[in-house]
Amino acid sequence: MSVLNLSHVSLSYDGTPAPVLKDITLSLSQGDFISVIGRSGSGKTSLMNLAAGFLRPSSGQVTIGGRPVTGPGPDRAVVFQDDALFPWRTVVGNVALPLKLAGVARDEREATARRWLASVHLEGQEDKHIWQLSGGQRQRVGIARALASGPDFLLMDEPLGALDAMTRDRMHELLLQLWDQSHTGALLITHSVEEALFLSTSVVVLAPDPGRISFQEDYDYGRRFIRGEDPRALKSEPGFIAARERLLAAIYEKEPV
Amino acid sequence: MTDSTADTTALTAPVPREKFRLPWGLVLGVSTIGALILFWALASWAGWASPVFLPSPARVWAALNRVATDGYANATLLEHMGASLWRVFAALFFTMLIGVPVGLLIATSKIGRGILDPLVEFIRPLPPLAYLPLIIIWCGIGEGSKILVIGIAMLAPIVISTVSGVKAAGENQIRAARTFGATRAQLIREVMLPAALPSIFTGMRIALGAGWTTLVASELVAATRGLGYMIQSAAQFLVTDMVIAGILVISVLATLSEILLRWMERRFLPWIGKS
Repeated sequence: MSVLNLSHVSLSYDGTPAPVLKDITLSLSQGDFISVIGRSGSGKTSLMNLAAGFLRPSSGQVTIGGRPVTGPGPDRAVVFQDDALFPWRTVVGNVALPLKLAGVARDEREATARRWLASVHLEGQEDKHIWQLSGGQRQRVGIARALASGPDFLLMDEPLGALDAMTRDRMHELLLQLWDQSHTGALLITHSVEEALFLSTSVVVLAPDPGRISFQEDYDYGRRFIRGEDPRALKSEPGFIAARERLLAAIYEKEPV
Repeated sequence: MTDSTADTTALTAPVPREKFRLPWGLVLGVSTIGALILFWALASWAGWASPVFLPSPARVWAALNRVATDGYANATLLEHMGASLWRVFAALFFTMLIGVPVGLLIATSKIGRGILDPLVEFIRPLPPLAYLPLIIIWCGIGEGSKILVIGIAMLAPIVISTVSGVKAAGENQIRAARTFGATRAQLIREVMLPAALPSIFTGMRIALGAGWTTLVASELVAATRGLGYMIQSAAQFLVTDMVIAGILVISVLATLSEILLRWMERRFLPWIGKS
């Protein structure tokens, strides 16, 4: 089992003295679901870019299984806010691309891609063009594409930010099922407290100027949903509501009401 | 007109036909050309200019028929057209073969940009008539130098459109491919080149325009066929009706090739304009 580790990571962009992130230490194992939440400007996306290998830390270390990360790689799949699909490929062509680049034979990668599309409930849409899909469908293609190559970690940068509330609720349940089936370690950047709380095994709050971890707490609502509990009942438990208030207080740096 | 009315009436009555709309663009285009020909006919009929300067539309039409059936300047119209079409499209083919990789190199490599960008910028503003003598001295008077003269004029549009097209690839699209473990070659083939295709197509259309513009220059020396050659032969003997006929044929061919490219764009790049 693989572990993605950030230890004492700081990040400054060239030419600016103030660090974007300061002394971040975070450990993501396969089977974890960590959400990162915080006000805008707290460096959430920079944190994900460090984990993905798009950025290198100014100090500290990002490692996987003890080995330093030097760039992006197929062990860490990324789901982007703007879906980042390729309009010149069909739906199935998008999902099959990572397998094609990995050298998987055509028939096999097609079959795998179709299987993943079925698991995100896109049967019958495989041969459509990207622009014929709705926003929610496109994000599901993005998630299927990320999981198709069997990554150890699934990094998601506000993938549901542009979706309407009802679509989001259905996507939460789907995400939990996929996370459970794929045995990945999930890192989710979000600005929705409820989303973070319902999905995650651990929620990290980033405070801005410089971005630093100001609060971290573990939860089990997502795991309980996987075990068959009703999502509405979970979200109206007193414990859930109290945890939500603690997180909000941490985000706005106030005492909980 | 709207879908909802079509839906409610579909069961009882035949779906109402969409109201006919005049294609205004086409109507205006055809009327402009018609008005121009009318004015031309009027000018030559009223004798505002000598027939040597401005032959009537009827005389140009007769010249067209003459070259189509009997030929002019050692060849028939079809042979002239064939020679010119071959030169323009061969030039486009070879220029694409060189220009697209050059554009990719400029867009993706600092070294490529450093070496190739100044060369392209040097070639870009050169007038074909200026480098024509050099090409003939260096490469002779064969078919190759004619295609080369046209190709040089086409190079800059192809290269520049490729470079700007590569920049159309989204940052996250490139990042996504990198997380799949794409090599540099795979990144170019699977993301940058497809993202650049719409822009490259626009470059091809501009290049074809430049090609037709350069055609007459390329057929200045030692040509025995071609529309440019036909026009120059006619010009030397003040056969103005044949000059105008040649110009009209070039303009029709250029328009047809533009239409062909637009059709190819819709057929092969259906994602253009749909994000």
